[in-house]
Amino acid sequence: MTDDTTPMTDGGTDDEARTDGGPPATVPPDDETPTWSDRKERSQGLAQLTYQYFERSRREDEDLRAESTYVERDVLGFPTWPHETIRNLAITSFFLGMILLVASILPSHFGDPANAGSTPAIILPDWYLYWSFGLLKLSPINPDLAVLGGNIIVSNELYGLIAHGAIFGVITLVPFLNKGNARRPVEEPGWAALGVTGVILAITLAVLAIQNFFPVPLELLFSLVFMLPVAGGVITYAVLKTMREGYMYDLNRRYYMLRPPK
Amino acid sequence: MSLKKQDDMDHNAWLKSQDLTAIETAFLTTLIWLDKRLRIVDYLELLETMYYRANLQMPKSHTEQYDLDNKFWYWYPLYSLGSLSIIAYLLAAVSGAMLGFYYAPSTAGAAAQGDPTAAYDSMVMIMQDVQFGFMLRSIHRWAAQFMVAAVFLHMLRVYFTGAYKEPREVNWILGVVLIALTLLFGFSGYVLPWKQLSFWAAQIGVELALATPIVGEWAAQLLFGGFTLGQATLVRMYILHVFVLPFVVTALIAIHVGIVWVQGIAEPH
Ligand code: HEM
Repeated sequence: MTDDTTPMTDGGTDDEARTDGGPPATVPPDDETPTWSDRKERSQGLAQLTYQYFERSRREDEDLRAESTYVERDVLGFPTWPHETIRNLAITSFFLGMILLVASILPSHFGDPANAGSTPAIILPDWYLYWSFGLLKLSPINPDLAVLGGNIIVSNELYGLIAHGAIFGVITLVPFLNKGNARRPVEEPGWAALGVTGVILAITLAVLAIQNFFPVPLELLFSLVFMLPVAGGVITYAVLKTMREGYMYDLNRRYYMLRPPK
Repeated sequence: MSLKKQDDMDHNAWLKSQDLTAIETAFLTTLIWLDKRLRIVDYLELLETMYYRANLQMPKSHTEQYDLDNKFWYWYPLYSLGSLSIIAYLLAAVSGAMLGFYYAPSTAGAAAQGDPTAAYDSMVMIMQDVQFGFMLRSIHRWAAQFMVAAVFLHMLRVYFTGAYKEPREVNWILGVVLIALTLLFGFSGYVLPWKQLSFWAAQIGVELALATPIVGEWAAQLLFGGFTLGQATLVRMYILHVFVLPFVVTALIAIHVGIVWVQGIAEPH
């Protein structure tokens, strides 16, 4: 590249007198930049596997598109403007309005200043944490071991914590436990029943947290906390099972008319 | 023949050759004047593209393809619960920022146990002296509660429509993290006024942290600034509530909605 005729920044051609360091040495020659297929061939190990998988996945897309019978038409779905936008504006203003209305007619309570020396008779978080607070009141069912002379194995606080962990753990695992294409509750009465059980349990646990306000013996309340969710689940299951037959018939007919099984 | 170089694009001549009203002439003259200097035609084109994107022609939805619309329209509001969570979150953020002008995260000023602290006094000041202050606090509290309710109901909607199934598992897990953080948001905010219930709620928090095996003491230090409640606890809850959680939750919501955008809403079958 550096021949005598390459002009220098001052216009001279005398290499001995060069002060600008010459042309940059790091410009990659364009014709040597590897093409994608070159790279694929050269790469090895994980990079090669990645390329191979990408190719498969692209081909999969193409094939699916080729064999798709997807119906397209000119205007599909609601246009964002104005339909969706107006609808969303309506919902949004209604929701904001409700918050402002409730905020103005039910202003928040404010209590006495903190006092480390006097425990209040009733300690409560906001309502949405009642269920969590209820979980901390499960000490009556904290198992004890006869071997330890009736001593509990874990402290009541830790027991409550473990209950929290179990609940969040189960919720996290839901997508990995329930697979398949079913979407509607009627298609999977068991899972719907589980959901209803969970919702009712959240409510009964909240009631357990504010047990002082319920003139029910603690024993009974405790049983109800667990019996009601189960009862709710069983009823849901029964109802959905009953609905299922007629419902699924309709649904399947519509499905298979449009997309016959291969 | 003029010596002046011929202008191929003589816009003014073109303008004159048109039969235009005064308004049209004024509009075009301004447009040409601006465009010669700023080349706004490029930006107008961008805007136009965006306009068409917003009116995207979407593929026929499942609901339409199987003609389920007559059965489904009354479920649509449930699909707005995620957006409603965001709206409540924004309202809480705005009102919270305004509360932040007046609130002081300090336990100073209590001569004896049970005396009002600076934090408590600043809350009283907000409610009694600041114009609109009581309403502001009320809006913040209720926005928070509406958000928690909306998030919970949103989760139920996702559960009962089976919208968490493949390929949306990641978003479900993100959602579980989000609901936990939303509750933590509520808890940390509840502590800030440093009233009796705040204090004793925090007390339960410390006890729970300490009951955790292995990491318990470390967690208590980290979250509550020690094993007994005091100034350190209040400041930590404050930083959590107005600095850490806003960034984390906002980022996670952005990712969550971004994934919905990429994957599309799971339609009921
Ligand atoms: C701060 C809390 C949350 C916000 C702001 C939020 C926001 C949203 C939004 C705007 C959507 C679009 C669809 C819709 O609105 O229904 C969505 C979808 C979704 N969310 Fe959330 N969400 C939150 C919490 C959760 C939670 C707690 C879960 C579940 C544990 C969850 C799981 C999902 C899933 C799986 C989808 C996809 C559903 C579909 O495609 O139909 N999200 N979220």
